[in-house]
Amino acid sequence: MNKVVSCDDVVAEIRDGATVAIGGSSLSRKPMALVRALARSGRKNLRLIVNVGGPEVDLLIGTDKVAEAIYAFVGFEVMGLAPHFRRARQEGSVRFQEWTEFTVMAGLDAAIKRVPFLPTHTGLGTDLLRVNSAFRTIQDPFEGQTLVAVPALRPDVALIHVNLADSQGNGVILGDGHMDVLCAKAARKTFLSAEQILLPERLQTYGRDVRILRTLVSGVVEAPWGAHFTGCAPDYRADLTHVQEYLAAARDRAAWHDYLERYVYVSDQDYLRTLGSERMLGERLRV
Amino acid sequence: MPAYSIDELIITCMARELSGEVLVSSVTALGALAAHVAKSTHAPDLAVLSTPESGMDAVPLPTLSLGQFLTDNQRAIPLTMEDIFDAIFTDRFRIWINPAQIDQHGNVNISVIGPWDHPKVALVGSRGIPEDTSHLSQGLYYLTSHSPRTVVPKVDFISGAGYTPERAQWLGPYGAPTCLVSDLGVFGWDPAAGRMVPRSLHPGVSADTVRERTGFPLEIPAKVPVTIPPSAQEVAIIHAADPLEVRKLELLSGKEAAEKFAVIYERERQTLHAAWPRRRH
Repeated sequence: MNKVVSCDDVVAEIRDGATVAIGGSSLSRKPMALVRALARSGRKNLRLIVNVGGPEVDLLIGTDKVAEAIYAFVGFEVMGLAPHFRRARQEGSVRFQEWTEFTVMAGLDAAIKRVPFLPTHTGLGTDLLRVNSAFRTIQDPFEGQTLVAVPALRPDVALIHVNLADSQGNGVILGDGHMDVLCAKAARKTFLSAEQILLPERLQTYGRDVRILRTLVSGVVEAPWGAHFTGCAPDYRADLTHVQEYLAAARDRAAWHDYLERYVYVSDQDYLRTLGSERMLGERLRV
Repeated sequence: MPAYSIDELIITCMARELSGEVLVSSVTALGALAAHVAKSTHAPDLAVLSTPESGMDAVPLPTLSLGQFLTDNQRAIPLTMEDIFDAIFTDRFRIWINPAQIDQHGNVNISVIGPWDHPKVALVGSRGIPEDTSHLSQGLYYLTSHSPRTVVPKVDFISGAGYTPERAQWLGPYGAPTCLVSDLGVFGWDPAAGRMVPRSLHPGVSADTVRERTGFPLEIPAKVPVTIPPSAQEVAIIHAADPLEVRKLELLSGKEAAEKFAVIYERERQTLHAAWPRRRH
């Protein structure tokens, strides 16, 4: 089946109030073209699931799309804190559940295995158990140990950016896979964006690098530079100059409005044109 | 003048804590360089991860944006998140964590300043620290600025569990804090009392300075040892492994940090290619 669609087609599949898991990690391989399409849509009250979050969470909070966020981390590493996330946390304008890297993975894994929870020692002794009511402690039935029960996380939709895909929805990830396969398996519907769409017979030559199976995928978008301004190894590195521009804008109301007009409320072609030619982008970001 | 800087002293102290055949995270530049110094000297079996992504048996080259490229160019062994967390759960993993706050019981915080529900400053979230503090036999922390704001009587939020009543009840020794290296000295914990104790003070640092810059009363014995400074060899290893001085970003702020940052980002591809030419798939 040909599953090639556009970013806007993917957004049309996401309802108000949907639970959306977003792949990638930190400033690596975030599906930013899809996230920008969501940011300029009329969707609201989304519930986000991320592991090591950053620009995707901050942009969607900064465009009032988010009712709740489940996260292990939201920030920009050595570049600083996430301005909209920080404001929303401090003002209480969005609901937040602080999880951890493994527990987000375990929650998705529980959904995949159709069990209500998975047990772990993770979180014992920390204040997460006090502030995150999703976690409960339980007695193990064999030895009586106290463990944390991590509830299943069942996304309605997963959004993932891959290096290469075919029109059937198989996806090749050439760098770190992060938790993307878990997102794809746990979600009711998974959508990929890809740097390039290849013919299926060519994609199959990538062997073990085919990490996302077409049986999990509902739609695939061809989006060159679709992870920008995060990186997409081995194609391009994170655009930290743009991160600085983003962070400066997100800290200032007027500048934020200008940023959205310039980079978000525009087509992907215009987004790339505003950043300079593809040749200039390549010179700055290809490694 | 000593022939080393404070970051090199901190890195060397961190390196001395590492041993055996375990994965060592390189998520920060100081952690990466500590792993590399240890592997290059007393701990050749360490399996060092690339900075800052997850390839194994890499030679760390601290950069801002090139972790996965380092893994590729060196043909480091790619790891999955499952590999990393399974190594944590089976105590085959070490990581140096740089917390926003650490307290006398070894609890650490990277989540929030003020109450979690009504933050004064929302930081980043607990990330993978709760995994470490429930499973590892070494709990390793470092601070580049030891002050009453970072070394506090009680953390605002427990992202990582130190010696708490819950630890005694549920976790035992798994994930307990074992070492803090700061710009003033090296500290440990007395497991019975669950309290921080000084192991050594850095050369030129007085007990009074440590007391002033620690947010709780810390007992410092009169005969506390002086930290052994880095050797010329250790300093040379650090310089060779971090030619761009990414490590200095962890000690700088404001304009100085911004300028250094821009220079590193501009030059790091060239540095990577000079050290590790790209090999195509």
